[in-house]
Amino acid sequence: MSEHTVKAYDAELDLIGAKIAEMGGIAEKMLVDAMDALSRLDMELAKRVVISDPRLDALQREIEDQVVQTIARRQPMAVDLRELMASIHIAGDLERTGDLAKNIAKRAMKVADDPRVMRAVVGLKHMAEVAAMQLKDVLDAYAQRDVGRAKAVWTRDADLDALEDSIFRDLLTFMMEDPRNISFCTHLLFCAKNLERVGDHATNIAENVNFMVTGQSLPMNRPKGD
Amino acid sequence: MTMVSVSSDNFQPVATDSPVKVDIRNLDFFYGDSRALKNINLGLAPNRVTAFIGPSGCGKSTLLRVLNRMYDLYPNQRAAGEVLLDGRNILDPQVDINLLRARVGMVFQKPTPFPMTIYDNISFGIKLYEKLPKSELDDRVETALKGAALWKEVKDKLGASGLSLSGGQQQRLCIARTVAIRPEVILFDEPCSALDPISTAKIEELIDELKTQYTIAIVTHNMQQAARVSDFTAFMYLGDLIEFGETSHMFTSPEKRETQDYITGRFG
Repeated sequence: MSEHTVKAYDAELDLIGAKIAEMGGIAEKMLVDAMDALSRLDMELAKRVVISDPRLDALQREIEDQVVQTIARRQPMAVDLRELMASIHIAGDLERTGDLAKNIAKRAMKVADDPRVMRAVVGLKHMAEVAAMQLKDVLDAYAQRDVGRAKAVWTRDADLDALEDSIFRDLLTFMMEDPRNISFCTHLLFCAKNLERVGDHATNIAENVNFMVTGQSLPMNRPKGD
Repeated sequence: MTMVSVSSDNFQPVATDSPVKVDIRNLDFFYGDSRALKNINLGLAPNRVTAFIGPSGCGKSTLLRVLNRMYDLYPNQRAAGEVLLDGRNILDPQVDINLLRARVGMVFQKPTPFPMTIYDNISFGIKLYEKLPKSELDDRVETALKGAALWKEVKDKLGASGLSLSGGQQQRLCIARTVAIRPEVILFDEPCSALDPISTAKIEELIDELKTQYTIAIVTHNMQQAARVSDFTAFMYLGDLIEFGETSHMFTSPEKRETQDYITGRFG
């Protein structure tokens, strides 16, 4: 993309892009750390996830303010308008992703004193890896304006839906095996739900990347795995 | 290309299913040897506003001037191709220019009131085309001023000079003068470039109302204005029509790189 005649306009758009990238980095790290904290029952790491969240919220707000300012001052058109609209949406999705990671970290703290968690968390770890990969891929697609990569993320979300389903069945078995498992398994079920939601936010971001680059919307019906 | 035979009734609309009021076909325009418009093909939809945008010298004002043959006033300027108004080619030399300009009115960049009273500014044009009793003429003047959203401001001073009005009012007076003749098409050549934002908003509101009765073409340097007032937008560059489409699409997802660069301020 060539530069604007008004250089300050480019600087404003670059700044918004840099903040989205920073949010993406934080959200990605929060998700990976939250899942490590859960699988290793590492309370210090879980706390660090929780205290990362305010920075994500602050960045989202800064992006929203900057986008409103740019719309008011520059009256953006075409690709610029699409980029700004996508930025607001993507910032919202990343903020929510951070909230979901924080929620996993908080649940990790609640189940930390139960050693049986370690055995039950295996499937969830795999699901978290897939969710983290989806998030990483879609952030790369955003950074590189890569529609093909965004569409691949969008299609692959079905895998996460299927994984959530299988984890649900696994945890149900644990719960039926011994009622004392019910408490921590419920927490893990919510963690699986959170990871599934992270995948949904990644697909939202993929849709926004596609719109930002092409001006077209992806179809309403996405392949579902559940 | 369909040739349309021109007869004495050349202003009678021909029956057509096409939703196009003005159909521009293979239009070229020359200032001497210089080719200012290159094979333009474009239709103006009835009761819609079509905006022409593009950098200075792209041919947008030239195109507008072809639509009521304003260029006829100047030697060495000529158009080739066809401009069909209700199916009749207005470029045909046999077309009565005065009747054409009654059907295709024009509002210019700078307000151009005549140095006469507000009333006479409006009635002058009507009297050129029609002989009306005084009471009917009064009605026509009032209707025109109401149509241009100026009536309330001038109804008590119709005898005052048109030049005593503010710039924005003068421009609306010119619009009243144009609609008084009951045209079918109104051409606006940068109608707000000399006006403040409030006067501009009034003209834009007026254009929105006028389109219920007329086919409107507007040339503007103000992209936001094109986005606000028009239903269709044509982007021109160096005499070529680069892209033409629905305004809602042009300003969010233009098809052509040149259009995108121009409307986002990345040009040149």
